[in-house]
Formats: sequence, structure tokens, C-alpha cells
Amino acid sequence: MAEPKVKYDRQLRIWGEQGQAALEKSSICLLNCGPTGSETLKNLVLGGVGSITVVDGSKVEVGDLGNNFLVDEASLGKSKAKCVCSFLQELNDAVKAKFVEESPETLIETNPSFFSQFTLVVATQLVENSMIKLDRICREANVMLIFARSYGLTGFVRISVKEHAVIESKPDHFLDDLRLNNPWPELKRFADDIDLNVQDPVAHKHIPYVVILVKMADEWAKSHGGRLPSTREEKKEFKELLKAGMVAQDEDNYKEAIDSAFKVFAPRGISLESQQILNDSSAEVDSNSSDFWVLVTALKDFIANEGGGDAPLEGSIPDMTSSTEQYVNLQNIYHAKAEADFLVIERLVRSTLKKIGRDSNSISKSTIKSFCKNARKLKVCRYRLIEDEFNSPNLPELQKYLTDEDYSIAVGIYILLRAVDRFAANYNSFPGQFDSAMDEDIPRLKSTAIALLTDLGCNGATLAEDLINEMCRFGAAELHAVAALVGGIASQEVIKLITKQFVPMSGTYIFNGIDHKSQLLSL
Amino acid sequence: MASSPPSSSAIKDAKVLMVGAGGIGCELLKTLALSGFPDIHIIDMDTIEVSNLNRQFLFRQFHVGQSKAKVARDAVLKFRPHINITPYHANVKDPEFNVDFFKQFNVVLNGLDNLDARRHVNRLCLAANVPLVESGTTGFLGQVTVHVKGKTECYECQPKPAPKTYPVCTITSTPSKFVHCIVWAKDLLFAKLFGDKNQDNDLNVRSSDAASSSKNVEDVFERRKDEDIDQYGRKIFDHVFGYNIELALSNEETWKNRNRPKPIYSKDVLSDEPAQQNGNLEKKYESDELPVSAMASLGMKNPQDIWSLKENSRIFLEAFRLFFTKREKEIGNLSFDKDDQLAVEFVTAAANIRAASFGIPLQNLFEAKGIAGNIVHAVATTNAVIAGLIVIEAIKVLNNDIKNYRMTYCLEHPARNMLLMPVEPFEPNKSCYVCSETPLSLEINTNRSKLKDLVEKIVKAKLGMNLPLIMCASNLLYEAGDVEDDMVAIYEANLEKALAELPSPVTGGTMLTVEDMQQEFVCNINIKHREEFDEEKEPDGMVLSGWTQPVSAAENKDKSVGNGASTSDALITAVESEKDDEITIVSTLKKRKLPDESDISNSAAESKNQKQLEVIEDEDDLVMLDGDSDSVKKRRLS
Repeated sequence: MAEPKVKYDRQLRIWGEQGQAALEKSSICLLNCGPTGSETLKNLVLGGVGSITVVDGSKVEVGDLGNNFLVDEASLGKSKAKCVCSFLQELNDAVKAKFVEESPETLIETNPSFFSQFTLVVATQLVENSMIKLDRICREANVMLIFARSYGLTGFVRISVKEHAVIESKPDHFLDDLRLNNPWPELKRFADDIDLNVQDPVAHKHIPYVVILVKMADEWAKSHGGRLPSTREEKKEFKELLKAGMVAQDEDNYKEAIDSAFKVFAPRGISLESQQILNDSSAEVDSNSSDFWVLVTALKDFIANEGGGDAPLEGSIPDMTSSTEQYVNLQNIYHAKAEADFLVIERLVRSTLKKIGRDSNSISKSTIKSFCKNARKLKVCRYRLIEDEFNSPNLPELQKYLTDEDYSIAVGIYILLRAVDRFAANYNSFPGQFDSAMDEDIPRLKSTAIALLTDLGCNGATLAEDLINEMCRFGAAELHAVAALVGGIASQEVIKLITKQFVPMSGTYIFNGIDHKSQLLSL
Repeated sequence: MASSPPSSSAIKDAKVLMVGAGGIGCELLKTLALSGFPDIHIIDMDTIEVSNLNRQFLFRQFHVGQSKAKVARDAVLKFRPHINITPYHANVKDPEFNVDFFKQFNVVLNGLDNLDARRHVNRLCLAANVPLVESGTTGFLGQVTVHVKGKTECYECQPKPAPKTYPVCTITSTPSKFVHCIVWAKDLLFAKLFGDKNQDNDLNVRSSDAASSSKNVEDVFERRKDEDIDQYGRKIFDHVFGYNIELALSNEETWKNRNRPKPIYSKDVLSDEPAQQNGNLEKKYESDELPVSAMASLGMKNPQDIWSLKENSRIFLEAFRLFFTKREKEIGNLSFDKDDQLAVEFVTAAANIRAASFGIPLQNLFEAKGIAGNIVHAVATTNAVIAGLIVIEAIKVLNNDIKNYRMTYCLEHPARNMLLMPVEPFEPNKSCYVCSETPLSLEINTNRSKLKDLVEKIVKAKLGMNLPLIMCASNLLYEAGDVEDDMVAIYEANLEKALAELPSPVTGGTMLTVEDMQQEFVCNINIKHREEFDEEKEPDGMVLSGWTQPVSAAENKDKSVGNGASTSDALITAVESEKDDEITIVSTLKKRKLPDESDISNSAAESKNQKQLEVIEDEDDLVMLDGDSDSVKKRRLS
């Protein structure tokens, strides 16, 4: 059937067929379907997740009509979960939609095994105690979990997963893999066959900059004891040599070479971050290890042996000024080296699988190929237990945030979002929820926040009066525009988690709608 | 009862104009309605397509083909029945949407997908003195910017990347990248075979005798009455992939420093086809419902498979046949549509065959469609984030909360813990020709260039005017739109004249005044005469400058912002440069330059046909702050 390909065409171009397949196999559970939850789930239903289950025990009230587009006047008095579920089903009939008319807090208390059926749980507008319990439940069941909350003009998103490994991290800003500072024999040979002093000006201006740099780097190394330029002066001198090689002012290939000279200066071998992954204790594999760690083990072996300290070559080259023939030949040289590296990695993967007692073909060729292409860009994300963060935050970080001009408002929002929950537990309503109590609520919220900070070990810390006033004026309202934004962020992170592409955010996300700021806090 | 947010009083009386009901527009309309805006007007000229459904959630499968603006209005009224939403299924450039129309609104919100319309709305907002909140998304990236006359930059204060264009001679004679083959297949071959026959077409541009060869070529494209579709298809195939390549090869000078292309003839690629073809024909005609898809017809399924040369040739001929047998009435009126499956198949196959001839790697249909249709990645989540930010910003505008205006960029750069990057809006650019009335400068050969060229390439294409009026001192040279009958002939005649030969001669030192009555936008252009222009770098044969320094303009020309990654690069580069790191980050998307044409003599005939084929972006447009790094150093708020 052609239809799903057409409907999802615009997003397939971001996360590809494999990503889409992962979405279509996933099952999502939403806790609370107010504006934030509905917005999050709507985006996922549009994206084509496999199934959704909406959990909410409340009925639709007049106040819901003003900020939740998944309920209408005909919904008044009915189960909110049922109405939202029905609307979402209409949005994309390829998604299976179910609802449970029960408060999430009750399910968390009485039926923890309910959550094990899901790929991922989206928990919205939960208070602290429920978050702690749900987090523990999901970790034991190996279910991914994301919290989202909007509160007036502020918002909060937090992922909680034991470990999330990413092969296709797709960083925006990553140097191409050209090995100009460490060319392999075939590339060296190709460069050697090209004469930088060719008389024909047309031929001279079409020498690819890769060749120019490989040759010039080689000359430099020969006259400098085998070393490449490393000091500022040496780098400058190297660029002057390139400039001297230009025959005419309009030689774009030489301009490209000068602009790309830094690729010669770049350090060899793998990054510190990649090294940390290779040295991770999970890279000591056994029969329970995931495919990711099996691949990492093979990579480690490759780098230590055949790779000579480098990861497998990626194989693609950027656009550059060149004759068509030389460009195609250069492309083929990079492709051939990448293919050779892939074959070595494949052999290592098969032998590692055999060693740990698994079927040596259980990791597909295409997965290994993708891994090779992304070997420099691997990511491993691990998230602290919510309970640990709430009870024993990283104190030096917290204190730093409280005094940092750039972070003090974000952390203030974080503290106050937790304080309002304590406030609600003590006074049976959120601060500012009733206009008549506003004058009393401000000092109460302030003292609640101070008490919380003291409990966390931050004696004497203060929060901005303005911020406390604003939090009270919010009256715990879930504004639709903020819910749309927070729901957008949360659903985007869900997509990253399920597709295993891009890198999910690593800390607690705080949105400040007054300034449109958003920051990640590591606590 | 929850206390109401402080913004509600401004919202209560607000009248809002939304332009665009697509990806951002659906989100925006829903968010406006649920934020309490009582009076919303929405303009969109598009109809709903299947590929919209992954993010334009107000639309359903059964709405496909209907007006976006009207369906969006109906959908929102279902959950917000007591507000006023006025839809216009129309082009925002239509005359009815003039300055008086714009004046009735408190704020204008753009959710547009093309640069042309954005510029048009920018001028109207300036003329009407109405604040504008501009936005765009691509993939996971997006931005929201605020434009208030006299207080912030207008939308055009920062130069915007021009659409990617290619010299015609590269497309017609010396392709080196797959995109060149796509442009050839789509804008030349497809248009020649199925499009408007009166349109100029450079499919057969070449260096030999123009007059006689042109006549002969036209005969090839005429279908003889006794010719069946298959014969006609093979004739076309052999002409464009075989004979034309042979002809190109006969010009030895061209291939002195290039790989020589290989002619491809159908009999060599499909030598066993005739017999098989007959068998297929029988099967096909048995079925009453043939799918209008060459892939389906030939039993191919995966749009991500790369077809072999033989498969491409079969697809080419099958798509060709299907156009003439199933869609004959449309022939002569077709233009390429990325959601027309048969057109995409034809263009993909033709581009691949041409690529095979020139030794360029082939591509699958999925990728080719993305290139041919200029498809921008689009996903629901980014639209939701951007729409939320737009509404928050609109509320600030309505509250006249100038000090809290923010331009916000949505980035994926986890290393810096940035997801949103707010920047205070810049003051109006004193060099902007749109909002600061700075004169422009145009270098042009006044003895050879016609007024027509000036109108099409500069006034309409670069300045974005719809209905221009051009004056030299107090003499009217040209006016578009409602014109008295006796003046029409004069203006038509003026278009064909060289600038220096006009009734009021336009020469070096002349100042022209150009005005758009609809946009109420006026600017002045100082003319500088210049004899020669570099065909490679200045294919228009004229150079307009004035909104930035010439050097900056040149730099911007080299940059290409065609996808999310490079857009982020541009901004990250700006961020990096502030720290003055030892290592200079250079964009990895630097373009490979085409072989230099200046050493090769071009015939007069070829020169005459020099022009650019413009590739217009089609989806949500991401426009990025770029170029002037000093302005980026303005206080950043993250």
C-alpha cells in the first residue's frame, strides 16, 4: 500500500524508514490528558505511533473547553479520557487508541504492572510523590518514561530512562571524515599522481583541495621532523604556503584548501567522549548485552588493531571545486576504504557474537554498516532516578545555579514548581488558585520554597520576589500556548527515544515563557 | 475559579490576521482560538494534500483537495464555536489584500512557506503600520521573529538567502551533479514534452547554427500521425539521450578538460524489449483499471531502490506512454508537481539516464523527489513549539511590551544546552531599502539590456514587487496593472527597448523610482553603466546592491541554506566566532564549484540564451540570521 508513504513523506526524510517503523511498533501511555498531555499525544498520533492509551479519571468541565482542542461542548460531563481518545483516533486511524477512566495516581498505587505493556509512558502534570513511584515502576519494567508539565508561563520536561544508546546521533555540526592528517595508502597514491605544478591553468584550478592539502601536509611533515603544524605560527605559515601555491586570484580550489587547512591540524584518533564509551564497563559483553555494546566491543578491537587508532572511515566527501573525473575518482577511493573497514568490523562483530554464545548473524549487515558510518558520533545517555534527584540533588551544581545570573531564574522555576506541590498538599489548593487568597498565598509559597531549599541543603538561599509573585499569579493555569510548546518539546523527545536517532536532552528542561528562555539543569 | 492570565484584556479586543494555514498555520489557528482570540482572519491559497496529514492536524483524508483556509476554519469552530474566523481561499498577493485591508488588524502572523509572500506581507505591514510576527520551520529547526515599524528590523533588514540557481549552460551541456540532471529533466525535458508549448525552452541549446538546427529539432518533438506511442517515445529517448549527446561531443573544446559523456540509445539498453513489450501490452489491456503509475505498471515497489539504467529506461518509456494514453488532455498544460506520482517517476528516470551518461551516481525516486520538489523536512512537533512561541510573542505585541520582544531560534545543539535561543530584536537596519528608504545601486549594460530584463530580473524577482510602476525623473516608463488603453501599447514598446534608447534615456547616473501601488512601497535605484559581466558569477548580466556592503553580498551569495543542517551551521558559526576560538569552524557544506566557463568561447547564440533556471523552495521556509557577525554579538539572552 502506498498511502502511509505519502502521508508520512515529510517526516520520513528526517528519520527514515527504520525510524518510522520503530514509531509504528511503539505503544504509548499518556497519564492525564489536559492540554499538555493532549498536545504531546496529538503530535505522536500525527507521527504514526502504533498505539496509545489515555489514562485520566476526570470529567470534562467548562474550564476544559477553553484550552483543550481535543474536547468540545458535546463532551461536557463525559469522561475526559474517552473524549480525547475518540478525537485522537479520528486524527489518524492507523493508530490504535484506547482509554482508561482512572486517575493515574490510583493506577500507580494499585496496579503497577499495568505499565509494563508500554514502550514509553508520558506522565503529565504529576506531583512529586507520584513521579517518584512511577519512575521506579518504569525502570523495573524497562519502560521509557518522560515527565511533562506546564504551569502558567513556565514548563518542565524530564526524561527518565536507565540507559539510552544512540548510533545515529546526527549532530548538526560535525567535521567530515577526510583523514587529511593521516591519509591511507590509496589516498596518498592518488595525491602523488597529481602534479601541483601542472602548467595548464585550467587543470591547476581544478585540483581538489583534498589533494592539495594531503600533498602540502606531506611536504611540511618531511621538513619538520614528521610533525604537522601545531602552533599558531606554524599554522599561519602553512596557510601562507598554500597561498603561495595559487597561480591566479580566482582559484577557488586553493581558497577551499586554505579554508579547510584546519582539518590538517585536527588531532588524530578518536574523541575523548568516544573513548569513554569504549571504556564503559558495559563494553565487557556477555550473552545479555545489547546489540549496541556488541558493536562497541568490535569497534574497540578495530581501533586497537586494523584501524591504527582511528574509527572506520565514513566514506563520503563534501562538495569541492574539481573536475568531474577527479571528483568521482576521489569519491571511489573514500568509498573503497569505507567498504574495507566495514568488512573488518563485520567480521569482528560476528566473532564477538559467537564468543558470547549468540547467533553470529543476529545483527544485520545494514545495522553494522550504519554503525560504521556513525562510529565517531555514538552517544550513551543515562538518567538519574527521580527520587535521587529530588532527595539528594547534586548540591554544588544546585548552589552554582542559584547564584549564577543566567541560571537563577530557571532553577528558581524548578524549585517553585516543586514548592507548589508541597503548598497544595498543605493548603488543599495551588497558590493563587483563588483570587481572594492571593495576598496570603505569596508569603506562604515563599516560606514553602525556603523550607524546600533548606531540606535540600541550601540554607540561606533566596529566590527572587518577582518570580514568587508570578508563580502565584499563574494560579496553576495550564495555558494553551505554553502547553503547545511543552507538548511539542516532550513529543519531540519521545520521537528521539523511540527512533533512537538524535540525542535526547540530558537533564531537566525548564521553559521560561516570559523570556522564551529554556535551559537544561543537571541536578 | 482560576485567576485569568494578565494578557487576557489585550486578547479580548484583538483582531488578528494569519497568513498561511499549513503546518505552522494549523497549530497557530488552534492555539490562537484556545488562547481566547475572538476575531481571526486567515488567508491561504492552497488545497489539502495527503502529505500534509502528518502535521496539519485540522485536516482529514476526506478533506484532500479542499481549501485549507476554509477547512481549518470549520475544524476550529467545532471546538470553539463562538469565535469569528474569516477564511480567504486566496493568494495574499491578490489586490483585495491591500494596505487598507491590513490596517484593520492589530497584529499579523505569518505561517508562510515562501520568501516571495513573506516579503510582500512585510511591505504591507510596514505601509499599514501593523506589527508582524514572522516564523518558519524545517525539520527540528525553527524561528519566530518580531517586526514593528520604527522599533525593530523589518523582515527584509537582513539579507535572505536567494533560491539556488544554476547557469543554463551547466544544466544543458555540462552537468556534474545529480541536481543538475534533475533540473534538466524537470524544467527542460518535462516542460518541453508536457508543458506549455509557447514557453521558451533551452532543451536544445547548443553551439552550432541556431536557425536551421532549431527547426530540425522541432520536427523531432512533433508526433507524426502514423507514429504509435512506443515509437514516438523511443524517438524522443534516442534524441535527447543519444543524438544530443553525440552532437555535444562533436564540440571538442568543451571536453578538453572534462569527462566525455556517453550517448545512450534505447536499442542498446532495451534490446530485448519489443517482444516482452507485446506480452505486457496484452496483460495491460485486459485490466479495466490501470494505475497511472509507471512503477505500479512495471511491478516495481520500493521508492528507495536505485533503478538500473535499464530499469530507468523502462520507467521513462512507460511513464511517457501513460501520459499520452491516460492523461492526454493534460498534455500542453502540465507543470511539474512533486505530488504527481507519474511526473516524479518520469523526472527521476530521465535524470538518472542523463546522470548515467555523464558518469554521475544515480539516485532513488525518494531522493529525486526531494530534490525535484525542493521538499523541506516537516514534522508536527516543531510546528507545535513554534506556534506556542508565536502566540506568546503576539500577546506581548498587543500589550505593547516592547522590552520583552524576543526573536527565538529553535536549535538542536545539545552540547550547549540550548533548545531555544532568544535574542533581542535589532533596531531597524539603516541600510534597508524597504523600511529605511535607502537607495539601491544597479550595475547594468544600459546599451544592451532591455527594460523588460530590468522589470523581470530586478524589480519583480529581487525587489519582490507585484505591480511595479517605473519612473525616470517625472517620466513614466512603465506601469503594470490597470492601465489606460492608449498607454498599454507605449509601455509594451518600452519593454522591448534598451535602457539607453527609452524616451527618457536611462544611462549611467540615472536614478529610477520604482513603486508598487499595492504594497505602497517605493524605492530608488541609481543606475551605473557597466560593459561586461562574468557569465559564471553574474549570469543575470546585472548586479543589484544596496542592502548590504558589496563584500557581504558576495559572501552571502556563496552560502546556501537549503536544509536544516546548514542553517544551524550558519548560526553556530556566528556563535562560535564570538568566542574567537583558535580553530575556525568552517561550514562543511561549502559548494563544489563548477568547471570554469570563462576559458571556453561561447557562440553568440549561446550567449543570448544565457539565463538562470530558478529552483523555488516549496515547503515551510527557514530563514536564518546570517552574514553580519557584528549584529549577532548584540546581547544574547540565554
